[in-house]
Amino acid sequence: PRPPLLCRKLSGLYFIEDRKEWSDLEPVPQDDGPNPVVKIAYSEKFTDVFDYFRALLKNDEKSERAFTLTAEAIELNAANYTVWHYRRVLLQALEKDLRQEMRYITAIIEEQPKNYQVWHHRRMVVEWLSDPSEELEFIADILSQDAKNYHAWQHRQWVIQEYKLWDSELEFVERLLEEDVRNNSAWNQRHFVISHTTGYSDPAILDREVQYCLCQIRKAPHNESVWNYLKGILQDRGLSSHPGLLERVLELKETQCSPYLLAFLVDSYEDALETNNTRATLNQAQEVCALLAQVKDTIRREYWLFLGRSLESKYGPTAAPQSDAASSDAADQQELS
Amino acid sequence: MGGEDEERGKLKEFEQIDFLKDRHVRFFQRSLQVLPERYSSLETTRLTIVFFALSGLDVLDALHVIDKDNMIEWIYSLQVLPTEDESNMQRCGFRGSSHIGLPYSSKGPGMAHPYDSGHIAMTYTGLASLLLLGDDLSRVNKRACLTGLKALQLEDGSFYAVPEGSENDMRFIYCAACICYMLDDWSGMDIHKAIEYIRRSMSYDNGIGQGAGLESHGGSTFCAVASLRLMGRLEETLSERELDRIRRWCIMRQQTGFHGRPNKPVDTCYSFWVGATLELLDVFQYTNYEKNRNYILSTQDRLVGGFAKWPDSHPDPLHAYFGLCGLSLLGEPELMKVHPALNVTQRAFQHLQQLQQAWRDNVSSCT
Repeated sequence: PRPPLLCRKLSGLYFIEDRKEWSDLEPVPQDDGPNPVVKIAYSEKFTDVFDYFRALLKNDEKSERAFTLTAEAIELNAANYTVWHYRRVLLQALEKDLRQEMRYITAIIEEQPKNYQVWHHRRMVVEWLSDPSEELEFIADILSQDAKNYHAWQHRQWVIQEYKLWDSELEFVERLLEEDVRNNSAWNQRHFVISHTTGYSDPAILDREVQYCLCQIRKAPHNESVWNYLKGILQDRGLSSHPGLLERVLELKETQCSPYLLAFLVDSYEDALETNNTRATLNQAQEVCALLAQVKDTIRREYWLFLGRSLESKYGPTAAPQSDAASSDAADQQELS
Repeated sequence: MGGEDEERGKLKEFEQIDFLKDRHVRFFQRSLQVLPERYSSLETTRLTIVFFALSGLDVLDALHVIDKDNMIEWIYSLQVLPTEDESNMQRCGFRGSSHIGLPYSSKGPGMAHPYDSGHIAMTYTGLASLLLLGDDLSRVNKRACLTGLKALQLEDGSFYAVPEGSENDMRFIYCAACICYMLDDWSGMDIHKAIEYIRRSMSYDNGIGQGAGLESHGGSTFCAVASLRLMGRLEETLSERELDRIRRWCIMRQQTGFHGRPNKPVDTCYSFWVGATLELLDVFQYTNYEKNRNYILSTQDRLVGGFAKWPDSHPDPLHAYFGLCGLSLLGEPELMKVHPALNVTQRAFQHLQQLQQAWRDNVSSCT
């Protein structure tokens, strides 16, 4: 039971129920029936706000008091998508100031950056205003607090694509990668920007990207993201097709080895096998699989062994045997020993 | 003495990685009762919490601890049924809770309300919950659910959660696939468009993101692969090379347990999202079971039950459920097997198959 009205007035604890401007409205309680499940124990204040919200909803009331109440409801539960939808209905019906709404949603997202509803709401307001001018800076601020926030990146990609704001994005990506070269979201964004602008078909661009990757690998070898990116931009052209790359990777293997480097090597050998299936190349691939299974990536031991078996069964039977030079060398070796 | 210390050390290790089945049963029982106000953000998604608890109890083979009939009634009270004039067909499905304020009713016809509509994830978890409780879905208005579902699909093949509009991504494609699969009726979606959306969401790194261009993620990869499996289109949509590439992306997610994206910390729930995907692709057997199990159990809350995303963190129903499912994939002795695409126990899945057979028999006996 609520504290008496006088007590509430003295302590400033105003419920909607007490406000004269609401006396015409009959609050609507939640009804979970005789056996409620996963019932949430709301405080009086919470129940009060939402009982009145439900009343407004039922009547589809379009008023200033309704608009004000949505803010109170949002403060209590910003994940209630019905409240956000109703607020958008009111924003339009009451022709509210959308610039002010942008300020409002900016504050809410700063407080709750992992909530789906708030980002969707911001997108709607940006669309109504046809004004993305604050977005890149705002999202950059959210990313400065959590550089991998998926909602933030999703919103960023939407804004850039919708309003063609590509111009400074590669620069933004590079800044983030300087801060953390292992930020997988930033690598993804790099691919997003380049594939939608210059593309990777130009050999100069492709080589620039390959060199960028090799540079980042030298700085921080144990980084799955850079290796995924390198493989990603080359795999459909053929990993073994980029001139000199295999040699560079084999060099790196000596001083900046990692499970990712070795996996890249296996995939490069497999790519070579597709066009030129030789026992020599197959053996090289098997050697790396064995190294991964036994030493360099033992958590995935069973997988690397499986991969080795798969390669053998796929390429083994039809592999071109060792070249004559190689096999006579081998025979000479045997004679000498 | 060295020998005693060694024994004590081994015992301590054992204490921290043993599976506390009864604690988890009680954790889910409590979740089904009353939650404190700090869970208020879950109001509109309460039905998903019910699903986690019920399916969790099912995996623990402990559904006998709850009153199934009461539960079934409450779930049916969340169905958005057609009004007398059927003007709301495109808004039908299941609600997440009673938050709109309609009077309790577990039977039709629907009550007209300007803002009452179903939510795709609630329709999915509502149906799954009814199924695992042994219900025959006879009180589900299938035509209405499918009409409501169809209304949520966008031109690009993805789905909104609600007819009023929302974000759209791979999660809701999975929900849609589960709904159609359970109702044995794919008229609720344009499969071709959904498949195109899935293909466009494949990333340069061979994982799958929430949408085209977005970062590949363990959750969306599961949603995509499981959806294709439920549609029966996995092998025809993805080449063997593409499947091998997805396998590689997924298997690289294991660190101890699994993470959802490269260079992110591990989290118990990915033991299911990524584990189940690997199982669907026939390579879960090549993961490291011991490290995975040890990680999941390190996130077990020994006092209160349940699991958290990380060790020494607060458990919640989602991580409790997916932690259990992760253990089930590993063959944990006391747990029921989970269907990796539909995300219910094999037992619930078999019940569904029997139901669907009966539906087909009914159809043929009518013609």
